[in-house]
Amino acid sequence: MEIVRESDRVVLPNPRPRVHVEAMAGRWTKTNESAQWIARLVIDVDGDALNVHVFGGGSGPTPDDWGPAKTELVYASNVATGDARAGAFLAHFRLPEADVEMQANLNLGLLVVATYVTFREPGTNANRFTREFFRREDS
Amino acid sequence: MNLSTLLGDWRNTNAAGSIMRILCTANGDGMNVQTWTPSRDWGTVEAPLFAFTFDSSDAGAFAANYDFGFARVRLQANVKAGVLVVVALTSFHDDSGRSNHFDREFFYRVGS
Repeated sequence: MEIVRESDRVVLPNPRPRVHVEAMAGRWTKTNESAQWIARLVIDVDGDALNVHVFGGGSGPTPDDWGPAKTELVYASNVATGDARAGAFLAHFRLPEADVEMQANLNLGLLVVATYVTFREPGTNANRFTREFFRREDS
Repeated sequence: MNLSTLLGDWRNTNAAGSIMRILCTANGDGMNVQTWTPSRDWGTVEAPLFAFTFDSSDAGAFAANYDFGFARVRLQANVKAGVLVVVALTSFHDDSGRSNHFDREFFYRVGS
């Protein structure tokens, strides 16, 4: 078995377990009362993937509505499980001026959302990293 | 961009961690990243850089892709309070049955 690190050396039955993407679905709102890059996310299950709809939070060149994007991949909590309660997803958004890679992970009931913002044209804005925290709206 | 926050030799705070060491070196206006596990040198890749604010010239985060054929690892890293926080998004492209998975590990800078 080929490995990239020792923790990958596990023998599992095929097919691989389905990643339980449902763990990350829901309506998520920012924990910070101040304006920020992202205000809220609405995440729906789409088969084995997620549809992630992002709404801007008024800070920086963030559109009010980023629109939806289907996740590129959803990641389990570890190599030997489909449990995603400490998992993550990766999604990409094309905003008017910038391309955004979003990585979000579940941590202690919070959705921790990191974005890597790359502007397509050189300008006054620097490519930027953000990390913001979100709670379930019904929690 | 000013790379001083990122450049250096970073070691895992957990001796049993899966990634042992990350070396960040300047490459012209950009940055290269070399990554080691206890048993393997992943090699050197160019890493896109990111600031913490839209008006900053100080790089505080990077991304790096490693493609091993049977698996791909996307590293995303940022410095917080002097610690390099590294997310590894691993996807498998073989028939091993292993799950694509998320890891986060923490690194301190040697000599700082």
